[in-house]
Amino acid sequence: MPYDAPIASLDIRMPMSRVEAEGLLTPHTREEIDHWAAKYPAARRRSAVVAALRAAQHQNGGHLNEALMDAVAAYLNLPPIYVYEAASFYSMFELRPVGRHSVSVCTNISCMLCGAESIVEYIEKKLGIVTGESTADGRIYLKQEEECLAACCGAPMMMVDHVYHEHLTPERVDEILDALE
Amino acid sequence: MSDTASIEIDGRTLEAPRGAMIIEVADRHGIHIPRFCYHRKLSIAANCRMCLVEVEKAPKPLPACATPVMDGMKVRTASALAAGAQKAVMEFLLINHPLDCPICDQGGECELQDVAMGYGRGVSRFSERKRVVADKNLGPLIATDMTRCIHCTRCVRFGEEIAGMPELGATGRGEHMEIGTFVEQAVDSEMSGNVIDVCPVGALTSKPFRFQARAWEMGSRDTVAPHDAVGSNVHVHVMGGRVKRVVPRENEAVNEVWISDRDRFSYEGLYDEERLLEPMIRRNGEWSACGWEEALAFASRGLRSLVSRHGADAFGTLVSPNASVEEAYLLQKMVRGLGVSDIDHRLRDADFSDQEQAPLCPSLGCSLAEVETRDAVLLVGAWPRKEVPILNHRLRKASLAGARVMVLNPADYEFNFRVDGRIVVSPDAMVDALASVLSGSAAPAELCPGVREVVDGASHSEDAAAIASTLADADHASLLLGPMVARHPEGALLRALARALASATGASLGQLTEGANAAGAWLAGALPHRGPGGRSLERPGRDARSMLRDARPGYLLFGIEPELDCGDPALALSAMRGADFVAVFTAYRSEAMSRYADVMLPIAPYAENSGTFVNLEGRWQSFEAAVRPPGEARPGWKVLRVMGNVLDLEGFDYLSAEEVRGEVESLVEQAAPIRAAWRSGERTPWPREALCRLGSVPLYAADAIVRRAPALQQTRDAAFAGVSLNSAAAARLGLEDGARATVRQGDACIRLPVFIDDRLPDGCACLPAGVPQAAALGPDIGPMHVTPA
Amino acid sequence: MSKTRGWLKSFLLVELFRGLMLTIRYMFSGKFTVRYPEEKAPQSPRFRGLHALRRYPNGEERCIACKLCEAVCPALAITIDSEPRKDGTRRTSRYDIDLFKCIFCGFCEEACPVDSIVETRIYEYHFEKRGEQIMTKDKLLAIGDRYEAQIASDRMQDALYR
Repeated sequence: MPYDAPIASLDIRMPMSRVEAEGLLTPHTREEIDHWAAKYPAARRRSAVVAALRAAQHQNGGHLNEALMDAVAAYLNLPPIYVYEAASFYSMFELRPVGRHSVSVCTNISCMLCGAESIVEYIEKKLGIVTGESTADGRIYLKQEEECLAACCGAPMMMVDHVYHEHLTPERVDEILDALE
Repeated sequence: MSDTASIEIDGRTLEAPRGAMIIEVADRHGIHIPRFCYHRKLSIAANCRMCLVEVEKAPKPLPACATPVMDGMKVRTASALAAGAQKAVMEFLLINHPLDCPICDQGGECELQDVAMGYGRGVSRFSERKRVVADKNLGPLIATDMTRCIHCTRCVRFGEEIAGMPELGATGRGEHMEIGTFVEQAVDSEMSGNVIDVCPVGALTSKPFRFQARAWEMGSRDTVAPHDAVGSNVHVHVMGGRVKRVVPRENEAVNEVWISDRDRFSYEGLYDEERLLEPMIRRNGEWSACGWEEALAFASRGLRSLVSRHGADAFGTLVSPNASVEEAYLLQKMVRGLGVSDIDHRLRDADFSDQEQAPLCPSLGCSLAEVETRDAVLLVGAWPRKEVPILNHRLRKASLAGARVMVLNPADYEFNFRVDGRIVVSPDAMVDALASVLSGSAAPAELCPGVREVVDGASHSEDAAAIASTLADADHASLLLGPMVARHPEGALLRALARALASATGASLGQLTEGANAAGAWLAGALPHRGPGGRSLERPGRDARSMLRDARPGYLLFGIEPELDCGDPALALSAMRGADFVAVFTAYRSEAMSRYADVMLPIAPYAENSGTFVNLEGRWQSFEAAVRPPGEARPGWKVLRVMGNVLDLEGFDYLSAEEVRGEVESLVEQAAPIRAAWRSGERTPWPREALCRLGSVPLYAADAIVRRAPALQQTRDAAFAGVSLNSAAAARLGLEDGARATVRQGDACIRLPVFIDDRLPDGCACLPAGVPQAAALGPDIGPMHVTPA
Repeated sequence: MSKTRGWLKSFLLVELFRGLMLTIRYMFSGKFTVRYPEEKAPQSPRFRGLHALRRYPNGEERCIACKLCEAVCPALAITIDSEPRKDGTRRTSRYDIDLFKCIFCGFCEEACPVDSIVETRIYEYHFEKRGEQIMTKDKLLAIGDRYEAQIASDRMQDALYR
């Protein structure tokens, strides 16, 4: 029952008006959101939140802020808390500024047995940061120790901007990371 | 296939409606299943897993709250499998729950504590660190200790499903999941206090009650909340002769299991430092405290001398619509016993021209529970959310069930449900707007003279016609007139139009009155034109407004502060100041009152008084005093009884409030049926150059107790920002947001900040009534000039 | 015969001397009496005397106004009022024990989750005026401060058995 309830005329405290929201979201982002929102029934706009946040994060260079989340809420006419919930739940959304390239090394069982931990250690030493931090030049964001990414046959592996790199050695890591802009 | 299924729980064969969940059936038959996230008024989340039970042929234990019953199902709630699962879940829940029961306000009434006693282990096997969650600031009403949260999401679901304002949510994931608003903000719903009750642990507790008392040391007394016409049933928790807190008392027919924040937190106002603790009289301009005997003699002498000088016009009596039936009855009996006929409780009403034709007492036109089953509702001049929150909840349920709720309002108020038709016009155009709805109705309406001309002159609009046809098409339609209609200078005309519309569309007609006991005051005869039980009078008196307009030589006030409770505060105040003798029955002594009153008699407000309220559906609800009044204050009905005797009047020898109630009831039973006819009122000319003032009474300015409740006064609903207009009107008048403006009504003139509010229609300026800032101004609804300061 | 023996027995005061023998034996054996107040009887660490409220070593009062002692007290001798202190913590604004009501059962001490209310070894006190029997929070804390060393060592000794 509750999730079907039309939200159109509810008293939702909108921290932002729709006009302001449209000002914050680029035309491309809005187009993207509209595209996704059109896939769901009008009463279920909440379903488009993840896609909308992805578009907004992309527009903002890889991370979200409160204003952008409010803009997404206002644009989709949803209670802001629905947007906050989704944004804080999914690990693909960043709620603080991070480096341009996101690097996560798998440390789950297969990779661990093949030496993933020493790879993490090597990367941390090489970049001078620990997992969860970004380099000072804003180039690399060492996101997290990833759980299994289903590439056990190529262990140890890491994911750089959604691209899998397998059979890692310190030399391979140097090669991959140094090639990043 | 029959509608019921036969299932077996713990060896007992039970009949259950098909589709019911196991836990509902078990609850109905008194079989206990532990639970945290399940709440019968909320949707099913099945996320606490505490209610796991064994179901035959199911390989694993199933959650009882989310497993529908099936024919022949065999459930075991306490088998080894079920008990093992429940104990395991309990252990997991306690992993991160702090062991701070001794400092937790929920301690002693905590569901987690109770269930842990039954299902928890004596010793924790978890030696790692417990997680810690930062507390959230949810405003002045709700205190948080988020580390205690067990993520049942009852509060989240309450916000979405009951309050209709999703404010709380679960952010983060896994161990980082937190309940909160994410960005710091107060929870604003007018029903927000109910999350305190639904929270099964001590994560959300009452802020005003914080650390005040323990559940086990308080006594619980039943009473009825005095702030709106619903008459929510409440338990008052008392310790050491003081009200410590107020919690809802379940009554499916009235307030279900909820109460509004106003009813929950108003008790703080009982202990305001302005409480009048002993009778006081003024001699030669000096106030002095005295005993009851002296004060009553003084008051009686004063009234007697007025009567001997001025006869039947001696003094005007204004009684609060929050006075109980008994008080209203005894007061009118006393006043009429003195031969005086001016008595009224309709303090904010502006148009009394149709009072002779009014029904015996105002009512909702259907029961509160029936509101849920309406198919179409038209609200005229009403914002139930901030006037009668519990009624609003019923309307919301109706709307969610598919009812079409439409509004005709002087501002575009927010509703927490879908609104299917909206006409927003300035108060001075409400008559025309309602007339155009009526003229848009297909069915011919029987129109009384006066109304016919208005309807003929009405413009036609599609919105209006759509509203009329929706009302006519619905099987169960309701037309509800809000307080804005009662306060409207053309109220009689609006009522006549509404009545015609109701009869044309087959809708029931109801009125949302202000105060807890307006209906009771009508029945008890606190009216100028009718005696108790609707008896006609030989010599009708003046209504509340005329009593003030033709200033009387004296006034008798019962439970009101005229400068805040009357519809025209400037008029009220000047009438009081000009009077020779003003006697006041009051619970509070205000600065203004000390200036105009001659004698102040301390009476007991709600929780300290026994009596009866008649709610808006006509339900008589009696209540007993929960605590003794402080100092020399006494219940109003007792004071009136003694005063009646001091005045040597007949028939004031009651022994109990029940006796008085019995007398009123028998009078009401014998009442001759009144054929409500509704006649047309007069059109009021509106000066074109002026704005129309919309003086709605804010949620937390409704009566003297609420106005003195500190926690409620800190909420956003209580914030007074100034005078508001829409951007077009502001631009025309050369006013900017935040600028200061001079506001004039008649001779009264004050300076206030302006803010732009585009919910208002053009030609209308909103300046709340019932707040001290507006106490110098004129009528709630009337012409007002706003100019740049 | 037996008559003669009985006569002799009473004539020769045999029973009297037998009794006196017991007296004489005790005259020379060690003494049990304590010459109070110069001498005092030994006390157990579990002695239940006058109450005290304790503090933590950093000076913060232990009592958190949970009111369990008030609830458990069979004589209804304890009265507590609580409120949030300035720093937001739960504290008592009043903690009274009426010593005329108290039966020194020690339940309050057992109920206390933070070892705040304790019964000390003090048993010598008196009141001169009506009203002095009410031990207020200040008085109780002062006793706690004064005897903290002994209170702490007593709890330590008893800790094994609690």
